[in-house]
Amino acid sequence: MSAPLLSLRGMTKGYGPVKANQAIDLDVAPNSIHAILGENGAGKSTLMKLIYGVEAPDAGEVFWNGAPVHLHSPGEARRLGIGMVFQHFSLFETLTVVENISLIVAGTKATLAARIRELGRDFGLEVDPFAEVHALSVGERQRVEIIRCLMTEPKLLILDEPTSVLPPQAVGLLFETLRRLRDRGVSILFISHKLDEIQAICDRATILRAGRVTGNVDPREHDAHDLARMMIGRDMPPPLHPDPVEPGEVRLELSGLDHAPDDPFGVALQGVSLSLRAGEVLGIAGISGNGQSELSRLISGEVRLSEARRDDVRMLGQGVGHLGPGARRALGFAFVPEERLGRGAVPEMTLSDNSLLTAHGQGMLRRGFIDRVREAEFTAACIRDFDVRTPGPEAEAGALSGGNLQKFIMGREISLRPKVLFVAQPTWGVDVGAAAAIRQRLVAMRNEGVAVLVISEELEELFEVCDRIQVMHKGHLSASLDARTTRAEEIGRLMIGADGVAA
Amino acid sequence: MTLRLVRREKASTRMAVLAPLLALLAAMVLNLLLFLAMGKDPAAVFHAMLLEPFSSWAGFSEVLLKMGPLLLIAQGLAIGFRAKVFNIGAEGQFILGAIFASAIPVYFPQATGAWIWPAMLVLGALGGALWAVVPAFWRVRLNANEILVTLMMSLIAIQVLNYLLLGPWKDPMGFNFPQSVMFQYDAMIPILLPGTRVNVSLLIALFSALLAWAYMQRSFGGYQFLVGGLAPKAATYAGFSEARAIWLSLLIGGFAAGLAGAAEVAGPIGQLQRSISTGYGYAAIIVAYLGGLHPVGIVASSLFMAALYIGGDNAMVSADLPVAAVRVFQGTLLVCYLAAVTFVRFRLDFGASVEGGRV
Amino acid sequence: MNMIARRTFLQTSALAAVAAAIGARGASAQEPLGIALVLPSPLGDVGWSHTLAAGLDPVKAAYGDAVKITLLENIAEGPDADRIMNKAVADGNKVLIAGSFGYQNGAMQIAKRDPSVTVLHASGFMVAPNFSPFAAKYFQGTYLLGMAAAALSKTGKLGSVSAFAIPELITSVNAFTLGAQAVNPDVEVSVVWVNTWFDPAKEQEAAKALIAQGCDVIFSNAQDTPSVIAACEEAGVYAFNLNSSMKSYAPTRYLGCVATDWSPFFKASVDAHLAGNFVGANAFLGVADQVVEVVDWSPDIPADIMARITETEAKIADGSFTPFTGPITKADDSEGVAAGASMGDAEIVAMDWHVKGVVTPLPQ
Repeated sequence: MSAPLLSLRGMTKGYGPVKANQAIDLDVAPNSIHAILGENGAGKSTLMKLIYGVEAPDAGEVFWNGAPVHLHSPGEARRLGIGMVFQHFSLFETLTVVENISLIVAGTKATLAARIRELGRDFGLEVDPFAEVHALSVGERQRVEIIRCLMTEPKLLILDEPTSVLPPQAVGLLFETLRRLRDRGVSILFISHKLDEIQAICDRATILRAGRVTGNVDPREHDAHDLARMMIGRDMPPPLHPDPVEPGEVRLELSGLDHAPDDPFGVALQGVSLSLRAGEVLGIAGISGNGQSELSRLISGEVRLSEARRDDVRMLGQGVGHLGPGARRALGFAFVPEERLGRGAVPEMTLSDNSLLTAHGQGMLRRGFIDRVREAEFTAACIRDFDVRTPGPEAEAGALSGGNLQKFIMGREISLRPKVLFVAQPTWGVDVGAAAAIRQRLVAMRNEGVAVLVISEELEELFEVCDRIQVMHKGHLSASLDARTTRAEEIGRLMIGADGVAA
Repeated sequence: MTLRLVRREKASTRMAVLAPLLALLAAMVLNLLLFLAMGKDPAAVFHAMLLEPFSSWAGFSEVLLKMGPLLLIAQGLAIGFRAKVFNIGAEGQFILGAIFASAIPVYFPQATGAWIWPAMLVLGALGGALWAVVPAFWRVRLNANEILVTLMMSLIAIQVLNYLLLGPWKDPMGFNFPQSVMFQYDAMIPILLPGTRVNVSLLIALFSALLAWAYMQRSFGGYQFLVGGLAPKAATYAGFSEARAIWLSLLIGGFAAGLAGAAEVAGPIGQLQRSISTGYGYAAIIVAYLGGLHPVGIVASSLFMAALYIGGDNAMVSADLPVAAVRVFQGTLLVCYLAAVTFVRFRLDFGASVEGGRV
Repeated sequence: MNMIARRTFLQTSALAAVAAAIGARGASAQEPLGIALVLPSPLGDVGWSHTLAAGLDPVKAAYGDAVKITLLENIAEGPDADRIMNKAVADGNKVLIAGSFGYQNGAMQIAKRDPSVTVLHASGFMVAPNFSPFAAKYFQGTYLLGMAAAALSKTGKLGSVSAFAIPELITSVNAFTLGAQAVNPDVEVSVVWVNTWFDPAKEQEAAKALIAQGCDVIFSNAQDTPSVIAACEEAGVYAFNLNSSMKSYAPTRYLGCVATDWSPFFKASVDAHLAGNFVGANAFLGVADQVVEVVDWSPDIPADIMARITETEAKIADGSFTPFTGPITKADDSEGVAAGASMGDAEIVAMDWHVKGVVTPLPQ
């Protein structure tokens, strides 16, 4: 192996008593795509922050082309030639592509636009420089982010879970781009927990578990099973193949729901119909931004309809379109939103106080005052039953990793013993082990007779847990497809609207 | 070498103790130069500003007198601020409270009975709350910014006060001066501490702090306010009504400010006049934030602000300091305090090496 | 959050500790007479507060270190003023000059509680053995300036920006009107009552409104800022004011100033206090007492009018003429003062009606 471009030796970083990284060694070779593989909370994000200069390590050394360097700030990292594309984009939606880029990179708009086109041609990152960002798809936005990094001619590009936001078709394009970049001399650090992707594209994989390196391998020489074991420290649970059960009565029904959102960048829903019965799992597939979040708010009650349109959303046999979330919850509805921090949970509050958010009806109030004992008991039960890894009920929600917080919110909502359970993006950013547990839960709920609605971007996940799937595209919802007989390609076509507008 | 602020992993207890002392020290050093340049005796100034408010019962009673309205208003405002409802019109609600309370002695100057002053307080509180109805209604129904509306309502309140004092409520024997009749004995709140001007309304203010604590720290209603302030989307998700939070925030704030206004005219002033508030409604905003929007913190910060005011007055009277220099000292002390408090949660980083892991 | 409570407790203790360190200053050997002057507005270069403070300069010059003067500026009427006056007396000040009407109740309480304190109170009506209200006969000067104003006005419309519709200010406006009518019987006077002693923006706005209505001489009545005067200079109309000269703010359009000099009264009061024979009485002082004097006359006033003014001034000084001599008709056309009669001081200090010619109704 040639002399490494970037070397880390003994990198250690702790947050209070928690050691996020312990003595991490890492060598990234020039012209390589290097995967950092690990569960959520394994320390991947911390490591990237250290490399990109966002945080300073407690101990350890960094070598760039063999010379020791200190990285105090992202600016310094960029000067060395390190670029980073974050999972959550930092683009201004009301500005055009070239305007966004000119905020970071010097130059006239004309020259920048020319370079954007040139980079687009060279690396398969075609995007209209004068398009406004809000009009771009998620995949195109990601291209803008990558182009913005490439403008500074990096030697090393860090991509934080780049495929988690992309539809299957776009993943292939991204991989083609990454290969071209590698061949032109840019090394890639590719953070992921998706084993198949890593095997498809990476030359090398460093596996982290609980802040330590547990493997450093060529992923093409190992099967998914091996990698998973290194990642989670035990064997993967067997995949689910739920047997169909006889569904019961209709518990959630939308019939021809039209809705124009207040948000000018929101997606209008047109004629959305679905019918969910007790004892089945209905999945809604689609690329994010096609109306899923608008739909979820209408179902949860966060967006209410007028009294006259109450029957546009029917839940447990009654029109609820005009009711707020509290009233719907009282009927037996529970909801896990896709945004965990700030919506499903208040980051600055303890887990106990976050229990109160939706579970206050579970005997936690006495004459308007909070029963702290009951609150703590409920929270402790959630933590125990749903394997939430945290010091205890008094930990702040914001301190939990994404996967652990998701387990907590799932636990809280399931503890409400709902008749209808609605989960949006159940395993977004959740590690393999936890994701499997969450999926098993969803199926278990179905088997107990709960009506389960799942919105997900991950087709595999939907095929694993759903009885039926409907696809969302530009505010339309397709007809229902049987998850056991429909092929992934068919759903993929619906996701990009290749079949025209589905009914 | 670069200098930057780095957030501490947890608040530093040592700094929390040191911060006020450092702030006081810094403010004293900075102003020492000013006082020397002005030819004033710094020892006399510091004596008057910092010691006199506490050194005599008479001095301290004035601090308590000033503290009452600040405490009451700030407790009411803090509840709304925590829900991110910014009522900055407490001044107007205070004035309306004073006006409503004054209605009784103005229209029934001969009335006697122990019911009068409590009735005035209740009426005043309702008046303050009524003044907050307008911004609440406009915010909920028309999405009008409550910061602007409450502020504008304050300007209207001043004009209402002027109208009453120059017209219908003017003391017929008052040589056309814009003030009402002096209130009768039963329209005055009983004195709490004999020989001082401190009256029973201080107890009401302290009791309100207790209520605020119970509400904000222990009740589900207060919890909903906190969620609404910290994470509005989570409040929507949970189904907590934003409209309810806005209504309650503004009504509680108006109620408390109105009560304070009533207590002021039925207390140390004893009549309705133009200058019933020396900016209590605005100072209480500072008090609320200085107290960390926490009911207990606000008790401390209202005492602190009151002492700062009284000390400033003392420096003018006893140390011959011009009013501008007094304001400079008060301002420096506040700024130094806010700067020092920053270091409770942050520390300075001198751009040290990568190995620098001390916290 | 207990942290904050604790923090502030410590802060309080710290204040006490610092105070103890700097406390206990020795008292001086001989006690000078403490004189405290409480003022409603900031101590500027001009205006009411400035004039009161300047009135103490001769007292200081006469007594030197035997008096100690404390100026307390910008004290809002209300509980703060009460506290500050109490504090001033508790600190040993024996002569208290309360420089605003609104201090009356608090100042009277002090006078009643402590007979050893002498209180002088501006613009009030209460009297006690150790409590004198004092006021200036501004109307004597505004009458003279009314004559000048009528002579210089082209539109025959005069204006006044006035603080409060209290008798003292009403008499100034009335005398101004009567003086103007003595030169031109057809003049009209408009008044804007701004209800503030000190609000530069509001005063300026009022002046501009009057100018827009065609008024070309403006009387800044008891305004403690030069903003009216400055606005008039800018608009090219004449203006005058009370208390102290603001000529520098209107070099070309300054009509004159009804200046007040309180030093004769202050000096006499301090003398009496020290001699132990002070007797509270209503001090209503004018040209004859050398408290009121018109200064900085505009050179633009025609010589014949100026001669009449000088003649009238002399008559006012020797008591042979008073502006409120009948016949005077009220603004509502009823009789104010019968022909041949003239108003006494007691009637003047309670005047609550406008003379005919003032077109703005008195606020109710």
